Amino acid sequence: MNTESRKKALHYFYEKVVGPLGFKFTPDAELREFLLEQEVILEGKHGVPFCPCQPLRHDRARDMQIVCPCIPFHRKHFDAIQRCWCGLFVHQDVTDPDKLPQLPPKEVGLE
Amino acid sequence: MSDKYIRAISADAVAPGGVKAVELDGKEIVVCNCGGKYYAVQRRCGHMNAPLDMGTLDGTYLTCAMHCAQFDVATGEALSGPVPPDFGGEIPPRLLGEYFQNVGMLMGRIRTESIRTYPTKLEAGWVLVAPQAGD
Repeated sequence: MNTESRKKALHYFYEKVVGPLGFKFTPDAELREFLLEQEVILEGKHGVPFCPCQPLRHDRARDMQIVCPCIPFHRKHFDAIQRCWCGLFVHQDVTDPDKLPQLPPKEVGLE
Repeated sequence: MSDKYIRAISADAVAPGGVKAVELDGKEIVVCNCGGKYYAVQRRCGHMNAPLDMGTLDGTYLTCAMHCAQFDVATGEALSGPVPPDFGGEIPPRLLGEYFQNVGMLMGRIRTESIRTYPTKLEAGWVLVAPQAGD
């Protein structure tokens, strides 16, 4: 088993989860491959594919909310910015992910 | 090497998304029905030899029931290693904790290998497998 194989498996299963939530993988292939690779590394270290762009706080309840795909735990926020925090997933109608800035919740009026 | 095909199982006996174990020429094989396309792979998991016919098939991805190692039955490629035990943040009873610590230590040294695939074909309602192909 290698990183590429695991990336393939994550890609397959994530697609089934995020599709019904109205999201898809980012069309930016380079970013997608990079983020999936980081998740495989995190999974190897922690046993769980955490979001590569959010810090682990060693508080289980909070850390479980950043297990990829973490969309259900941050639905309002991600719907407002049309992407997930790290940008691995974007709304299904998004064609140019570069136009979607990574805005924190308070900047979109959620805090 | 021989590509002699042998009747393995009736195609109707493996429902779509299903996995059935057969023994052919002394080899333990599982036949997988991936939406009407049949694949045959070795029965033993590439991680710890658990029977893969107890696993779950999703598309061509087969997940072992024992530690959730995953394989692509179309290619035999190992996709994922075992999922580590998780106690949900609770501290397990001492003996159980020690047991899982030992098992975890051993499992960390086990490599998940790709599994062997066998050629298949459909003929008169039967799934035929060539168990000696590649020997």
